[in-house]
Amino acid sequence: MLQVRNASVFFSARDGRVVHALDRASLDIDANSIVVALGASGCGKSTLLNAIAGFLPLSEGSITLDGQPVGSPGADRGVVFQKDTLLPWSSVADNVALGLRFAGVPARERRERAEELLGLVGLESFADAFPHELSGGMRQRVGIARALATDPKILLMDEPFGALDSLTREQMQELLIDVWARTGKRIFFITHSIEEALFLGTTVVVMSPRPGRIVARFDLDFVRRFAAERDVRAILSAPEFAELYDEIRSLVHRPHAETDTPRKVLQ
Amino acid sequence: MTDFARPGDSVVEPLNRPKIVRLHPFGLDGARTGPISLATAVLLLAAWFLVTHYRLVPPLFLPTPQEVATQFLAIVEDGYAGATLWEHVSASLFRIFSAAVIAASLGIPLGLAMGLNRWAKGVFDTPIEFYWPLPPLAYLPLMIIWLGIGEVSKIVLLTLAMFAPVCLSAQAGVRALPIERVNAALSLGAGRWQLFRAIVLPSALPEILTGLRIGIGVGWSTLVAAELIAATRGIGFMIMSASHFLATDVVFVGIGIIAAFAFAFSYGMRLLEAWLVPWKGKS
Repeated sequence: MLQVRNASVFFSARDGRVVHALDRASLDIDANSIVVALGASGCGKSTLLNAIAGFLPLSEGSITLDGQPVGSPGADRGVVFQKDTLLPWSSVADNVALGLRFAGVPARERRERAEELLGLVGLESFADAFPHELSGGMRQRVGIARALATDPKILLMDEPFGALDSLTREQMQELLIDVWARTGKRIFFITHSIEEALFLGTTVVVMSPRPGRIVARFDLDFVRRFAAERDVRAILSAPEFAELYDEIRSLVHRPHAETDTPRKVLQ
Repeated sequence: MTDFARPGDSVVEPLNRPKIVRLHPFGLDGARTGPISLATAVLLLAAWFLVTHYRLVPPLFLPTPQEVATQFLAIVEDGYAGATLWEHVSASLFRIFSAAVIAASLGIPLGLAMGLNRWAKGVFDTPIEFYWPLPPLAYLPLMIIWLGIGEVSKIVLLTLAMFAPVCLSAQAGVRALPIERVNAALSLGAGRWQLFRAIVLPSALPEILTGLRIGIGVGWSTLVAAELIAATRGIGFMIMSASHFLATDVVFVGIGIIAAFAFAFSYGMRLLEAWLVPWKGKS
């Protein structure tokens, strides 16, 4: 289990002012769950992800993974970035196997594992292609395969589909659910799309800016329903989907005055 | 009455190739310039030929192309100033190559270190920024006083001229490294050395190669200055020595040889870039 307890982050802005980027955020990410952080820009969702990944230390609070405090970045937390960060000089297979290379896995084994993971994301025939030959969606799939290669305990995804067109985005969401259903990885996912949050999250936390904090939490089952029935339309047209959509929408757009944390559990 | 053609009329000649259009380009947009450059070269040669043929300029200032060609063949056959043409060329090539190897093996690691480390940057920034805009001719006398008139002072002069562009470009290569790429590698479990070897070095490689190309170009342009120092061999020496005797045709031969080698080096570096960093500009 990944536990975030009262995590606060203060930045120093360029003009010397102090920015309160994250305010006492607490969060649990259990096995086999997808926790989605949703909010407008500046709500601290990327700050939270960077802290979990180890790119950023906390000002206050703690983050533990299976009881161990999280420190510097490591292969136990796989990260998928919004901007693709594939190495342009390496083939797709070598990119996927990069973490295995760092871990000293022999070349043949790396190749086998890379091909296996490329199969998982539907790119088995592109092992020897180079990143610049792939479309944006395909590159993000390589990014997901690369993050899974080291068998991390958690997958951190920072608006991974934010730069994709909406059609590709839908395909990628379904692909991610397949990957999740097959690997059982816990996932922490960041987005500013309410629909994406509702569709993907077993838990959605809504965040609001200035200071960045978690203002609401919803436990959902749409993603499990999709994994079982694979019927997108039934989910998107379900009345409770529309209801939640409206509720979250008003939360996201509301002026941020309240301090208590509303909590709602849907079953 | 209408002018509209009926559907069947539009296909008068099905074999006709349609008019191919494309978006209006701006700037060069990859247009071919080779033939234009070739025509320019031919025109310049023709102008040279005509100007000298009709004696518009005294031959002492501008020899005819035939004279330069004859002189070239004579130098190939008999050498110049007691050394064969190959001895002159190899003396110059040896100096340039040694200087390039020294400048690269010092400049690349130091540039990378300056891009990564506060202390390296702080210590070496001032001396490099101070010396590199200086023209090599300005510190040439110091080289002679400190290091004598042998090969050492010539190679050091060339090394100093080549070092700065190589070192500065290696620094720029590190600076151009996106932080996301570093973070991605760290979250894949890269250690410090792995991060450097697998991420920093290849990311900086395109800039480093550009720096080497510029450095070698600077080297050729400094060569004549380096060979001012009591040389008895070298293309630069050949040019300087010929100018003392107003042998303009030999000067032209020397300039032509330097130009040919500099062009070949530059082209070779381009090939090396295409081979080592085929991803350049594609990511």
